[in-house]
Amino acid sequence: MATRAPVVQVEHICKDYKLGEETVHALKDISFNIDDGVFLAIAGPSGSGKSTMLNMIGCIDTPTSGKIVVDGTDVSGKTPDELADLRSRTISFVFQTFNLFPVLSAEENVEYPMLRRTDISKSERKERVSFFLNTVGLAKYAGHRPNQLSGGQRQRVAIARALATRPRIVLADEPTANLDYKTGESILSMMKAINRAFETTFVFSTHDQRVMGMADRLVRIEDGELTTLGVRAGNVWKYVKEKDVPIPTSDAEMQQLLKEDPELRRMIMEDPELRRALLDDQSVAGVAGKGGR
Amino acid sequence: MPYPTTAALAFRNVTRNARRSAIALIAVGFGIVAMLLAAGFIDDILHGMREETIETHLGHVQITRPHYLEAGLAAPFDYLLPDNWPERQLLEKTNRVVVVSPRLTFNGLISLGDTTVSFLADGVEPDKEKNLAKQLKIVAGQNLSETEPKTVILGQGLATSLGAKLGDKVVLVANTQKGGVNAVEVTVRGTFSTVTKAYDDVALRLPLKTAQQLLRVQGTHRWVVLLDRTESTAAVVAALRQQFDSKKFDIVPWSQLADFYNKTVTLFSRQVTVMKLIIAAIIVLSISNTMMMSVMERTGDVGTAMALGNSRRDMLSLFLSEGLMLGIAGALLGVILGWAFAAVISFIGIPMPPPPGATEGFTAKIRLTPGLTSQALVLAILTTLIASVYPAWKASRMIIVDALRHNR
Ligand SMILES: Nc1ncnc2c1ncn2[C@@H]1O[C@H](COP(=O)(O)OP(=O)(O)OP(=O)(O)O)[C@@H](O)[C@H]1O
Ligand SMILES: [Mg+2]
Repeated sequence: MATRAPVVQVEHICKDYKLGEETVHALKDISFNIDDGVFLAIAGPSGSGKSTMLNMIGCIDTPTSGKIVVDGTDVSGKTPDELADLRSRTISFVFQTFNLFPVLSAEENVEYPMLRRTDISKSERKERVSFFLNTVGLAKYAGHRPNQLSGGQRQRVAIARALATRPRIVLADEPTANLDYKTGESILSMMKAINRAFETTFVFSTHDQRVMGMADRLVRIEDGELTTLGVRAGNVWKYVKEKDVPIPTSDAEMQQLLKEDPELRRMIMEDPELRRALLDDQSVAGVAGKGGR
Repeated sequence: MPYPTTAALAFRNVTRNARRSAIALIAVGFGIVAMLLAAGFIDDILHGMREETIETHLGHVQITRPHYLEAGLAAPFDYLLPDNWPERQLLEKTNRVVVVSPRLTFNGLISLGDTTVSFLADGVEPDKEKNLAKQLKIVAGQNLSETEPKTVILGQGLATSLGAKLGDKVVLVANTQKGGVNAVEVTVRGTFSTVTKAYDDVALRLPLKTAQQLLRVQGTHRWVVLLDRTESTAAVVAALRQQFDSKKFDIVPWSQLADFYNKTVTLFSRQVTVMKLIIAAIIVLSISNTMMMSVMERTGDVGTAMALGNSRRDMLSLFLSEGLMLGIAGALLGVILGWAFAAVISFIGIPMPPPPGATEGFTAKIRLTPGLTSQALVLAILTTLIASVYPAWKASRMIIVDALRHNR
């Protein structure tokens, strides 16, 4: 696990928006890696560029400059069709507004992203639908349409849908912002449990302190600039970079940094330990037994 | 995405968005009903006119000597068809031929008392002509009879200008083949009218034998052929042209003779075409509006679908399929309703004033042919599909992140 290549490499990303005469620099030279199996939170104040960052990682938006490598593929210069295919195979989304298709039932919604995957047989599809609906605890609601489900239930369906294609990475832009406190918390615990159990990489954007509390990686963005990279062991956050320290701008610099900081290296290289340290969460234990990908 | 899947999704979108689909269906269905009723109404008028022209007057096929129809009336004796030519028998045995009625056409002068006017006469065999000229209307008196050779029936206008009444004895004067003049006295047995008033003003009919005696000729000018159905005409004409020597005969289908009918058809067909275009434009406008609304309403869904890995082509074919399905459903709905309305209206009947040149009104119906019905189906499906192209293209070109923001 620890020796695997990062799922996503973000290298010197800039994103500008033209608003009339003015240019908004939504992201300014951002670089970081997303390691396989992490539960990563992108934090920052409103308008700081979190959603923009997630959209770039999810290949539904393109940077003004810089390079993004997803699952070993450099996505710059790819055609919309190639990007669609890449998304279909490696990336899933969980949206703040759930974004289920209103005309499809819960199970049809879960099945939807698999429909274009000719490599998944029909029986396999049906199996996955019931497995993942079961995982999110909604087997009984398979035939319900989204408007017959509560917000929390809808988000669970959306999570099942995101997992059904067995993606390398699930991107969630403020997944709990439209849910009440308790429901949001249970959704988060569930995602965390799934992250443990299936070793699926999760990336969130949030300004919710609880989400950051569950994360094992933290990327903090302020005003389009990366200000903090954090790695957690147990209940201790180790901050790789802070505002006053130069931010590593390349893989090589990052490697250099890791060399200079043996404790940090240990934490990153021995990821399983890091995870086990976090395994005290009870809700995780139940799902974790069901096996990985 | 495999196409069957796209089609299944499109089907769900269409059927599970009942309200939106209903609006589209009503637009297409209404257009198709309007088109069917209007076109079917005009078609009924034209069809009635066609059958009347054929059955009062022209028959389905006329067989003459070459060029008789262009030059024959001026030189009637140069274009005679002898009665004993074997083709006559052959003709009567030809498939689909119901009656062959010989006619001798000539002009001359008709006198009653001090009044003399010119006439255009057809010498006919009364028995055969009864079958052929079913729709020749006898306004007063009786039609010609085989047993009363010395009688005549006059066109209504001719009878009026002559002041002739039933039972009056009139004198017909005509040139004979040898260049002399001959006359015969006949009794007015009846008066008739056809769809063509100008013809009724000069026309008379008398038994063929009397006509031949008057002109002192053997033979006739045309063999007028009635078929079982008008639709058989082309096939029979083709068959006859194969069998008959073109140096001896002209074989002329009714459509070449029905000048007034042809011009009427051209006129009405233009109108019907314009009407179809207008209906097509209405369907395109209202469906593209509905489809555009549908695409806009579902912007968030489009963004989601593309984020989940659907390509632009998937979106394009999804919305096109929805348009196609609405088109097919709307077309079927329109045709079913159209047939139903047509049946009701035809049952009640549409009272019509006399057409130009005619003296009597008639009752029109809505005539829906398979041809018209399939045209309506094609029109509905094609226009709906065309109307969906731009909205579908719009959907496929959406910027994913902007589309997703739409859900907020
Ligand atoms: N399509 C756009 N056109 C112009 N400016 C944009 C566009 N999208 C984002 N921006 C700008 O980019 C900056 C970052 O926006 P972004 O949505 O990424 O922020 P965020 O961190 O997700 O904020 P929030 O927490 O409120 O969701 C903001 O200043 C925003 O106004
Ligand atoms: Mg945001």
